[in-house]
Amino acid sequence: MKRGMVWHRVAAVLFAIAAAGFALILGSVLWAGLPDLTWHFLASWPNERTGGGGILPELINTGVMVGLTLVITAPLGLAVAVYRREYRMRRAATLNHLRATLLSAPTIVVGLVVYRVAVGWWHWPVSLLTGCLALAVINWPFMVTVAGEALEGVPQGYREASLALGASRWQTIRRVVIPASLAQLVEGLGMAAARLAGESAALIVTAGVNVSRHWSFWAPGETLAVHIWYIRTEGLVLNRDAAAAATGVTLMVLIAVVLWLSRRIARWLE
Amino acid sequence: MRDWTHGGLARGLLAATALIFLVAGLGLVAALFLGAWRFLGEPSALSNLFGDFWDPLRNRYGVLPFIVGSVVVTLGALVMAVPLALGVAVTLAEQRTAGMKDFAVRALTVLTAVPSVIFGWWGLQMVVPWVRARVGGPGFSLLAAGIVLALMVLPTFSLFFFQSLERVPQSLREGSAALGATPDQTLWRVAFRAAMPGLTNGLLVGVARALGETMAVQMVIGGQTALPSSLTSPGATLTTQIITDMTVFPPGTRGHAVLDIMALLLMLGMYVLVRLAERWGSVS
Repeated sequence: MKRGMVWHRVAAVLFAIAAAGFALILGSVLWAGLPDLTWHFLASWPNERTGGGGILPELINTGVMVGLTLVITAPLGLAVAVYRREYRMRRAATLNHLRATLLSAPTIVVGLVVYRVAVGWWHWPVSLLTGCLALAVINWPFMVTVAGEALEGVPQGYREASLALGASRWQTIRRVVIPASLAQLVEGLGMAAARLAGESAALIVTAGVNVSRHWSFWAPGETLAVHIWYIRTEGLVLNRDAAAAATGVTLMVLIAVVLWLSRRIARWLE
Repeated sequence: MRDWTHGGLARGLLAATALIFLVAGLGLVAALFLGAWRFLGEPSALSNLFGDFWDPLRNRYGVLPFIVGSVVVTLGALVMAVPLALGVAVTLAEQRTAGMKDFAVRALTVLTAVPSVIFGWWGLQMVVPWVRARVGGPGFSLLAAGIVLALMVLPTFSLFFFQSLERVPQSLREGSAALGATPDQTLWRVAFRAAMPGLTNGLLVGVARALGETMAVQMVIGGQTALPSSLTSPGATLTTQIITDMTVFPPGTRGHAVLDIMALLLMLGMYVLVRLAERWGSVS
């Protein structure tokens, strides 16, 4: 053994343990879930009483809620980041502390507040839209963060060149800064989608755990992540472990596809 | 007039959005205060609150068991995850090719996006039965929650640690080697020290993630509201107790006000972590 490499060997062993741990987790989910992952499972409705059966409404709910939330929060997050980075903003430090604190806020705290405000004060029902509101509150600080990082990645020289050519600050933002950071923005958007698709705590209290056939924006509905929690802890079907695992495999494939797609689009934009 | 055509309107809109962001964020905390006030305004609220006994039926709202639960589970996860993550980061930083490193960053990023319910499912499937078999009891325990949480924050820690090790200038390592230091000595005395702000920052981000995690912990911790007597006894954390009791106490009740106080405690903890990261972990 080469002298003075003992700690590097220790690190390699720790690496192996960590990799084995993750292989165990992902492997056991795949092992338990793959046999149940059939076309019928993906395309049919769950049983209202036991929670077993298909996951079609959960797939739809996940897509609709994540999509709607991103459509709302992506421009809002970009706007805040642009204003903080590109204009001389007062209270920029306060905004940054608030952003960082909200970013690490437990999502159940967001759920608690959204429940009080939307359900308690505004009399919204526990529903998909209330869930979207909770997701929007969770995602806004995240979008501000990833957009801020993307803007930081644009070389200062680009801005100066544009301003020196007589462009206004807004023209510089629109024609130079945002196009130059677009690839990173798209990748950030993909990360946000992955993060939202995996969200469960806030949605359990704001969007409910309903598995009935009635679908509406004002009706309760669960996402894939909530469904995993629901059938594994409250479900009554016999094969609930396998059904939860199959839902988990679906969710992880969905997340992987979203991340891969956003990466591909970002590559193409570069 | 000219100012409007050159983006004055756009600037106004951006400023308004930033203002709404500030108001919404502060409003979130304000809403918690408003809810918490109903309880905080009572006589001897604090002595009730920081008691070690939770029994809403008898008017006892001690949140100490949950604070202890949160701290113990988070510390347990740290003790397991930090050495593993350091091992991962050091091993990856040793890789010579840029392609390997790029792949490692991508893989770790994807792993940070694995939903918490997946970890919860695995905890129920393997960790809880394992604890039950080894030490007896229900298996649902602080220990099980710590193990699940450790694996959950491992990618986050690894990613931050790896990136801060990568930022250490190669010339520092080479200088250390030229002075006759072994790779181990270079690692401990040069690389770790030079990367300390980044490592601290990653540590604090991971702590925030562990402290705020709800579902993965809720699924395996057992939800017992008494002060836990040992690592292998069931317990509850601040976050799991909020989600368990939200259905029990509707807004407006005293119990819900206590949940708001617990949420405020969590937000205060996050704010402290953010300020500490700014002070000790500023990566520049």
